[in-house]
Amino acid sequence: MVDVSDAESPPDFDPVEPNAGEEFDPVDVFPDSTEFDLRPGSDSCYKCSTCDTNCPVAEVDDDFPGPKFQGPEQWRLKQNEDDYRVDDSVMDCSNCMRCDNACPSGVPLSQMHNTARGEYVAEEMSKTSVEYWRNRVLANYRTSAWLASKVPSVANFAMNFGPARWLMEKTMGITAEYEFPGFAAETFRDWWAREGAAAGSRERAREARERRGEDVDADKRVAYFHGCYSNYNTPEVGKAMVRVFEQFGYEVVVPEQGCSGTPMFANGMLPDARRHAEVNVSSMSDLVDQGYDAIASCTSCSMALRQEYPELFDIEGIEDVAAHTFESVEYLRIHEDLRGEIAEADVDGDLAAEFAYHAPCHARNQGLERQSVELFRDLDGVGIEDVGDSCSGISGTYGWKEEKHEKSMEIGEEMFEHMEAAEGTTGMTECPTCAMQMEHGTGYEIRHPLELLEAALVD
Amino acid sequence: MASAPHVAVIGGGSTGTGIARDLAMRGLDVTLVEQGNLTHGTTGRMHGLLHSGGRYAVSDQKSAEECIEENRVLREIASHCVEMTGGLFVKRPEDSEEYFREKLAGCRECGIPAEVVSAEEARAMEPHLAPDIDKAIRVPDGAVDPFRLVVANAASAQEHGARIETHSTVTDLLVENGEVVGLEIEHDSGTGKRVHGTVGGTEELRADYVVNATGAWAGRIGDMAGLDVEVRPSKGVMTVMNTRQVDTVINRCRPKGDADIVVPHETTCILGTTDEEVADPEDYPEEKWEVEKMLDTLTELVPMLAEARTIRSFWGVRPLYEPPDVGSENPTDITRDFFLLDHEERDDLPGMTSIVGGKFTTYRMMAEQISNHVCGKFGVDADCETAEVPLPGSEEFSVLRDYMDEFGLRSPIGRRSVERLGSRADEILTTDGPNPTVCSCEGVTRAEIQDAVDQSGSDLNAVRIRTRASMGNCQGGFCSHRMANELHGEYDAATVRKAWDELLQERWKGQRHALWGEQLSQAMLNYALHATTQNRDSDPADGAPVDFSAFDGGTSDTAGAVDAGIATDGGRDGD
Repeated sequence: MVDVSDAESPPDFDPVEPNAGEEFDPVDVFPDSTEFDLRPGSDSCYKCSTCDTNCPVAEVDDDFPGPKFQGPEQWRLKQNEDDYRVDDSVMDCSNCMRCDNACPSGVPLSQMHNTARGEYVAEEMSKTSVEYWRNRVLANYRTSAWLASKVPSVANFAMNFGPARWLMEKTMGITAEYEFPGFAAETFRDWWAREGAAAGSRERAREARERRGEDVDADKRVAYFHGCYSNYNTPEVGKAMVRVFEQFGYEVVVPEQGCSGTPMFANGMLPDARRHAEVNVSSMSDLVDQGYDAIASCTSCSMALRQEYPELFDIEGIEDVAAHTFESVEYLRIHEDLRGEIAEADVDGDLAAEFAYHAPCHARNQGLERQSVELFRDLDGVGIEDVGDSCSGISGTYGWKEEKHEKSMEIGEEMFEHMEAAEGTTGMTECPTCAMQMEHGTGYEIRHPLELLEAALVD
Repeated sequence: MASAPHVAVIGGGSTGTGIARDLAMRGLDVTLVEQGNLTHGTTGRMHGLLHSGGRYAVSDQKSAEECIEENRVLREIASHCVEMTGGLFVKRPEDSEEYFREKLAGCRECGIPAEVVSAEEARAMEPHLAPDIDKAIRVPDGAVDPFRLVVANAASAQEHGARIETHSTVTDLLVENGEVVGLEIEHDSGTGKRVHGTVGGTEELRADYVVNATGAWAGRIGDMAGLDVEVRPSKGVMTVMNTRQVDTVINRCRPKGDADIVVPHETTCILGTTDEEVADPEDYPEEKWEVEKMLDTLTELVPMLAEARTIRSFWGVRPLYEPPDVGSENPTDITRDFFLLDHEERDDLPGMTSIVGGKFTTYRMMAEQISNHVCGKFGVDADCETAEVPLPGSEEFSVLRDYMDEFGLRSPIGRRSVERLGSRADEILTTDGPNPTVCSCEGVTRAEIQDAVDQSGSDLNAVRIRTRASMGNCQGGFCSHRMANELHGEYDAATVRKAWDELLQERWKGQRHALWGEQLSQAMLNYALHATTQNRDSDPADGAPVDFSAFDGGTSDTAGAVDAGIATDGGRDGD
């Protein structure tokens, strides 16, 4: 029997339930649809301002009016007329989505923010401005990463070449502060193909089941949503996912997929996000119909599929996909005796370290902020310490914007301090951009929980 | 030439302020007295519909024609108070086809632009209409803010030399030698701008003529001179929704009945109403079933109302009047037309005319007619200009601005502010000092609050009707203390406390009738905040002086300090 005492989620887990207990219609983003309706969200707000006190941007930026204004307040003030303008401050929201979690009344704040931001970008931001194209380029990271992955060594040199970065900052407003993420010599998908793809996985999974004494025909199948970063930049995370899941007897498939849309939501590029969502929902919903669950190793990707998709888009099958999407460690904690196996395992070598663990905001919103700490504190050979509940500040593309970088670092300050005070000098987090910020602020190497799981459990 | 005749107008609603403006513009010397705030009576308790006349196009065509005429006038002279939403008369399958045709024909007979729209077209305009409606008639209904309109009329009257006295109750009519020669007034707090705590007093206001424009209260004024003014007050309930479920006025297309209208109003919708005769315009039951029945019935037109948040309910009394010989049994059958009762002709008591009946949309026309009547008495030959000269705030203005650059305001807050202030926006919103948002539900900034304080003294309810501050979904939970704080400096602590209490009381009054669902949560939160952070549940400073020594006994003479404390503190309970 699996031990899920502290991780069990009801099967219909829904990260935010607006208007608890009542039906809430998902909406399309543009008002020509009759489903466009955020009234229940506005009705639910009783102005308590808990969202504002939990907003990392408002904490460091006195000019930012906060999530309550960006969401229910602005919506109610501008609801009646088409020619009302969304205030430009909505672009200062980093889409960390902490407000969703903070709200005691179920106001779908991030849905309201995403909608307002989409409207602002579609109707007010000049399509010829540098800001628009900078944001579009950042939001469509997948496109740049795809290109770079064709010539990874050239890209790695060029993207960290001082004068080029200086020029990018001056002309496009992309900060030169961060080290540009390195592109892997071989993408995850290329590796996966080399490993025999689904057929290979099926074989390995059956072997594992046999080894584990399980029914070799057991219905253990997952579809991996690797996202862009695991594919192009950190294929070791994707490989760890595959190996860990196969170890537990799961057959993995890696369907056709685009970007999850996370950076597009954050930049108000909703038509781009929708295009990618259509691809993702279409391939995932076929698999969900066949009995697969969708697994992401990036907490923002799982967040997008679970919450943002059904809140913002009306695509056939979207609700089913959302209901069957899980984060990787979460899934194993639900279905396997992960804790028991960890308790019997030990780690040596490279990953036998003390970890300073940061929970990404999007993990927090899915109720996952304690899972790594709860899991790895029982693992021999490693130590893990939670560095607190602050936001890392980078919020995907946010910290990459020249005008927002300082703010982003100010938000991250608390996390940096706690990391430094922690015993370990290796960081851990599920989110690739949080990892970037952690590394930038402390110089630590940052690992993904799946890598540690792999080291502990995979033979 | 002798000095201008002095006319005393009783009643600070739309009719009274309209008359005051009209007479003052014609050069008469005017004093207006109102027992409460401006709009205190019926005007402040209406659903804010600017009639196209469509409502009366079958049953009362004279009223309908007046409505469309005045509808056009108000769009011009009161543009900052009016939002032309358009209106629909919606027919459900069970509603009479014959009546629908009569309505359409009636509108056309009265010169009201009217076109039939299909169910699909109506639902394209208003997606939240019930899916099973039949069809609708589109008419030029609109929404009007009665508070702003009345305040603008009073301001214009003042600009033309009128004296406006609110919180001044008429206690008697002065009758000498068989003629009304003035009023006896009880001022609640001195004359001029209201300041809480100012000693009031009685004033004998002598006037060459008295106009009784007190609507549902006209009978009470008449009684003071032994006159019988048979007003038949009829109550109706209205419920304010938190958001706009519709952006067009939605009427039910059937013969006049209860619960048949939804009016979009600023950030909210107002649902109306019922029609039931009452004996006393100030004392009648406000009952829960009235609200429930109205919500139930209107859900047939706009189903989402059933689940939507209501923020408050209020009742108003219509000042219905019909000549005594008509004798309608049902108040819905009483005409909405208005009547001038010249008490000289009618009761052989010169010096006073009462104006009764009528409706908000035609207030200006009523004011014009009675002003003509009064001018006639004095041989004043001046043209009425109220149909052409815009009200203060409604001169040429544009709401399309760059609010951040011009006023440092967030876009929707700037937009709302400019819509409310109209042509006065630049003057009011351009400030040197910080201009924080005081009421965030309605987007009201300090500059606008301060302007209202300048106009109305320490009366926060008067500030409220001028700005909409505290009229949003938290109903003052998060802004009433901030509004009170805006009085600081000019007014002392005791005055501010009284004003603050009065505002909270007023906000609570209407919320009592919406205590379920989200608004119940809101009320609980407001209570918790006010009690725990502001001592509003029992503030020691509101009652007996605080015995501070009870908290810190100090040294030896603790017992003595308790006894002496009251006197040394100068507290009011000390004797």
